[in-house]
This record gives sequence, C-alpha cells and structure tokens, in this order.
Amino acid sequence: MKFLINPNRFNIFSSIILRPLIYISTITLIIGLIFALYLSPDDYQQGATVRIMYVHVPSAWLALLTFFIMTIYSILGLAFKIPFSFIVISAIAPIGATFTLICLVTGSLWGKPMWGTWWVWDARLTSVAILFLIYLIIIFLRKSFNNIHLGEKITAVFVLIGSINLPIIKFSVDWWNTLHQPASISKFSSPSIDPSMLSPLIIMTLAFMFIGISIAIIRIKAEIIDRKHK
Amino acid sequence: MNSINIIIAIIYKEFLLFYRNFTDVLSIFLFFILGIIIFVFAIGYDELILNKIGIGIIWALILLSNNLSLRKFYQDDFDNGNLIIFHMSGLSYELIVIIKILTIWIFLQLPFFLIIPIAWLLLNINMQNFELVLLSFLIGSPIITCISSISGSMNLLNKKNFAIGSLIIMVLSIPIIIFSVNLVDTSEEVIRAQINILIGILCFFLAITPWASSLCIKFAIQNN
Repeated sequence: MKFLINPNRFNIFSSIILRPLIYISTITLIIGLIFALYLSPDDYQQGATVRIMYVHVPSAWLALLTFFIMTIYSILGLAFKIPFSFIVISAIAPIGATFTLICLVTGSLWGKPMWGTWWVWDARLTSVAILFLIYLIIIFLRKSFNNIHLGEKITAVFVLIGSINLPIIKFSVDWWNTLHQPASISKFSSPSIDPSMLSPLIIMTLAFMFIGISIAIIRIKAEIIDRKHK
Repeated sequence: MNSINIIIAIIYKEFLLFYRNFTDVLSIFLFFILGIIIFVFAIGYDELILNKIGIGIIWALILLSNNLSLRKFYQDDFDNGNLIIFHMSGLSYELIVIIKILTIWIFLQLPFFLIIPIAWLLLNINMQNFELVLLSFLIGSPIITCISSISGSMNLLNKKNFAIGSLIIMVLSIPIIIFSVNLVDTSEEVIRAQINILIGILCFFLAITPWASSLCIKFAIQNN
C-alpha cells in the first residue's frame, strides 16, 4: 500500500492501473445507465422522476467520501509529515466540489416535481450546501498564498476543521425533522429499498467511484509533474 | 511565577494598544450602529417586521463587525515580530493564542453588551426576549472570537486574497447563527436544549482553537 503515500510508487502503480480503470468506468457507466434508465421499475408514487436518484445518491455519497479521504490525508500530512498527502488534497478537492454540485443540482431538479420547490432550508440540504462552500473555500485558500508549501499546510488545517460538517450531514435527517427522507440503504439488516432499484444504484455508485478515481489519478500525476518542474 | 508575569505584561500591552487606538475600536462599534440604521432604511420602518427580524439583524451585524477586527488578531503582532518575541520569552504558541482570545474577547466583544441595548431601542423590539439574546450572545461571542482567531492565523501570509478570511469566519459561524437566533423563537422546553448545544459548540471550539491557530502561526513563521 506504499503507493498511497509515496509519489514514485504512485506513479508506477497509476501507470499500470489508469488505462484499465478508464475502460472499466466507461463500461460500468454504460451498464448502470441502461439499468437506471430502462430496466429499473418506476416508483409507484414518484413515477419516472425516481430515476434522478441514480445520479443524485451516488454523487452525494462520493462528495462525502472525497471529503473523508481529504480528512484522512490531512491528518497524515500534518501528523506524519507526508508531503504527498498535500498533493492528494489539492488534486481531489475540485472533484469533491463537482460531485457536491451535481448532488445539489439533481436534488433541486428532483425536489421541484416531488416537493413543489427547488430549494428548502432544511437541515440536510443546508449542510450539503455548506459542504459545497467549504470545498470552494478549500480550493480558494490553497491558491491565495504565494508560498505553495504554506498554502497546502494551512488548507489541510482547514480541511480538518471543516470535517465537523461530515457527521452533521450524515445524521441531519435523524436529528432534525427534515423534508429530505432518511437513509434507506445504510440499514444493513433490512434495507428499505427494493433490490430492483438497489442494484442499478450500486452499479452507478461503482461507475461514479471509478470515474472519480481515474480523474483523481490524472490530476495527482499532473500535480506531481508540476511540482517536479518547479 | 515568571511566566505569569509575562502573561500579565502581554495583557497590559494589549490593553495599552486598545486604549491608545481607541478610535479604531470605536469605529467597529460605529459600524454596528450604522449597519442597523442602514437595515432599518433598507427594509422600511415597520414595527411588526422589525420585531420579527430584529434579532437576526443584530446577529448578522455582530458577525460582520467581527470581520472588520480580523486584522487585530495576529497580523499586527506578526508583522512587527511580536509573536516571535512572545514565544522566545518562554510562552508556547498555544498559550499566546489563549491570551489573545481572552484579550480580544474582553476588549472587542464585551462592549457589545452595552451596544446591543441601543440596537434594541433603535429597532424597537419588545423586551420579553432580552435576557435570552444577551445569554446567547454571552455564549456565542467566545465562539465567534475563536473562529476569528482560526481565520486570522490562517491568513497571516496571505497577500493575495483578502476576502477569504471573512469567508472562513462566515462559513464556520453558520451553526452559531442558527442556534442563537432560533433560541428566541422556540418554545420553552427546547430552550434549554438549544443552550446546551451552544455550550457544546463553545467547548468544541475552545478545545480546537489553540491547536489550529498555533499550528497555522508556526507554519507562517517557518515560511516567512
């Protein structure tokens, strides 16, 4: 697992895995879209709009997952002084911001037909919007220092502070009475979602994850090359 | 004994600075009052509406006037090298941060207790929630001071982007605004729970601020 913290090992590992990963992500995305758009059933209440879920939920999960990875890497960077972790943070922050934006936009497109409004100031929606703002601040904060090494360290501190938001997002549907529905998949014992809807959701999540990882690998490689030239 | 003398000396120095630059401090409070006047003209003088949103206006302006005093936190001491001298006299950076938070809270936040009643009169809010707002300010103002400390220490060497410090303060203080403004509208039973949540946020920030701020100051001093 050295490739996760060592730039040279990462370069070797990524040059092996990048091309297959792009093929796999394309194939899973196509299969997942076929399942999501044609093969999965309509919801008995929501009709065809339920298909927004197959984009909305994976991007929300990946937005949280990306921030979680950034938190772990900032702990690694600050506590164990691993410089590679700062490269990872600055490389994957825009990916997480994009996933959060996709989640917000699809959610608001889903909310208009279902709730009758584009936006409500509800705990889950607000906390995800704050997550998006935190992502943007992370990106801006890193770019606003002349000294790049200082900027990335301070960004890592801000990532750690911003990670308070993650449990708030996760538990917001349980702590407050929200319009957003509570989690129906994380209950491992008996998921309250039908298998015919769960399987396209999982395929789409895998596809999004593979796409995210391949973009992250390309961005990290570009960042490493950029640092080497400086 | 020696370090206590140093701490008292630093606090005395802060006091002298605030005393001699009294107009600086006063203009921050003037900003607060002017902001309220602007709000009243922008919304129009309607007693019912002002009653409803007055507390929100007061809290938003407290937050905005905190953005103005952001530079007072570490920037001046950092630029003229005081922070390094404090550190060389035997204090750890964490202790310096705690002293700074204490002095800033005393000199820049406590006077708001005198200004909030004036705002109350200007906005003509009814008196029944007055103690609750003062209580929420008593708990909320140290949190805002901690957040300003984090933001101020992050942007010590930031010469490009001046708005980002205020952005950090505003993003981190959203929960405080939510809980403190809600305190007035909620029913009697929930008030206690809301106050407990606010105290919880305060404890959290008191715990992480010395660490985060001192780390950022260390990075800035190393890279200067």
